Amino acid sequence: MPRRQNLNGWWFVAFPLAIIFVFTALPTVAGVLLSFFEWDGGWVEGHWPRFIGLQNYREAFAHSGFWPSVRNTLIFALATVPITTLTAFLLAVAVNARWFVGRTVIRTVFFLPTVVSIVAIGFIWRWVLEPTDVGLLNHTLGGLVNTASGLVGGRHVDVTWPDWVGNTPWALATLIAVQVWRGLGFSIVLYLAALGGVPRSHYDAAAVDGAGPWQAIWRITWPGVWPMTVFLLITGMIGGLQVFDLVLVMVGRIQQDYTDVINLFLYREFTRNRLGFAAALGVIVLVLTALVTLAQMLWLRRRGEATA
Amino acid sequence: MSRRDTPHWFPRLLVHLVAYALAFTMLVPFGWMVLTSLKTRSGAIAVPLRWFPEGWPWQWQWGNYLEAWKVAELGRFYLNSIIVAVAITVLAGAHNALAGFAFCKLRFAGKRVTFALLMATMMLPYQVYFIFAYVLCTWIGYIDSYQALIVPFLASAFGIFYMRQAVVSVPDSLLDAGRMDGMTDFELFWYIVLPAVRPAVAALAIFTFMFGWNNFFWPLIVIDTSDHVTLPLAVQALATGLYVDSWPVQMAAATIITVPILVVFLIFQRRFVEGITLTGVKG
Repeated sequence: MPRRQNLNGWWFVAFPLAIIFVFTALPTVAGVLLSFFEWDGGWVEGHWPRFIGLQNYREAFAHSGFWPSVRNTLIFALATVPITTLTAFLLAVAVNARWFVGRTVIRTVFFLPTVVSIVAIGFIWRWVLEPTDVGLLNHTLGGLVNTASGLVGGRHVDVTWPDWVGNTPWALATLIAVQVWRGLGFSIVLYLAALGGVPRSHYDAAAVDGAGPWQAIWRITWPGVWPMTVFLLITGMIGGLQVFDLVLVMVGRIQQDYTDVINLFLYREFTRNRLGFAAALGVIVLVLTALVTLAQMLWLRRRGEATA
Repeated sequence: MSRRDTPHWFPRLLVHLVAYALAFTMLVPFGWMVLTSLKTRSGAIAVPLRWFPEGWPWQWQWGNYLEAWKVAELGRFYLNSIIVAVAITVLAGAHNALAGFAFCKLRFAGKRVTFALLMATMMLPYQVYFIFAYVLCTWIGYIDSYQALIVPFLASAFGIFYMRQAVVSVPDSLLDAGRMDGMTDFELFWYIVLPAVRPAVAALAIFTFMFGWNNFFWPLIVIDTSDHVTLPLAVQALATGLYVDSWPVQMAAATIITVPILVVFLIFQRRFVEGITLTGVKG
């Protein structure tokens, strides 16, 4: 190899790396530094960044809106990820069975929400969840209740349904449900790919041992796709902790103790030009993400060894 | 393969029922969106609620689409969205493919370290870096411009990683043969690697297009006035303005932004699913 060859590759990667450096790497470092400053983004006399040490963090921890937003973010991530993953696994197994009719149709239908703009999703769900009897969900639930009541000979019941996206614990459950609805398709498609990699002979061996289909799922299929499960749990958790746009389009940018998430809190502070404070919240998200990912990796490795 | 692993007809029926019932509930919100978009304002909020708009299909409120199109100025913003999504798709596609190829098949000083650092950036939550990225955009005069919407996305760590995974499948012997014939690195890429990884390029292009089309957060940050607003922002504006109570018009707008991406998805579905599967290799 001539020496020249050793730098040639840089021609191919220099520009892409420069873009990622300028718009991701550098701003990350700057963001961490910024979290120790007070700054409104101005670059003239009187608006320079002012070093204030840990003051932004102290303010965040003391802020009445902070802990609810952390709690909601954690609940959101901890609820959506396992529900989505487990449901997707079971659906993928069902759809993957040779006797299942219409695999492609089901896969396509479940995948639809993944490609649709979050704005459209917000519109659609706010409309479906509209309070009073105008909302499709309330209408359907009311119909179900009254059918059930009719079956047991009861009278017509008027149920008052909660305001699904108002400031009640229901709102967080609603956000979780919509996220599951939105995320299922992606996980199903990945599981379908992973299922193709589980050797048939393992199932035959299990069948010889007299295992039924249900046992085969948990004894052969589940361990067989374990790496995919780990991948989905870890990336899902990282994504879940970053939840923002779903809440913005469903609830709006308002602060509600039952729906606020860290990144919405951060966004509000950012739009008020409190860049240093917003940066501190960003760093908190970063640390939280790192901690959760690490904890998950340790836990999943132990589980993985136990299963294998 | 015997019938041993085919369960009894009853569990099979049950599994189908559950799967199709769930699939139906996946679709209902979209169906409801389209049906509502064709109702009158009062018809949409009439109690008891009715599934279909009043009258025959030719009597439905098709005018809602025109109204949504006009009030949200969707024509103009459609163009913005297309410009941004296409520019990102083409340019980022080229950059990511070239870089992915280099990281996979070329040898150069500092490659491993650079690649490891690049992968590390994928783990960063955007909340940490968007603030200073925004500040940079104000400094270089990018606020309210196409550049702000395009330049930061001209390459992505994920795209490079994805292309690198795809290029692995191209045999080194093929490249060595090309080198013997005196091909330059770029010629190797263009004549040998690119034809071999076309499916991956296509899949990545679809991802990138959808990302560009649906991107919501970043435009929300860097676009202040209406000149360079993209569709998601324009439609979101309907949720707060004069039309806040007009569900049919809002649903018409939602349908208008949903349909193109659905068409793209349905046409390229196989590519798309294969593409996602490729990313799963990582797991």
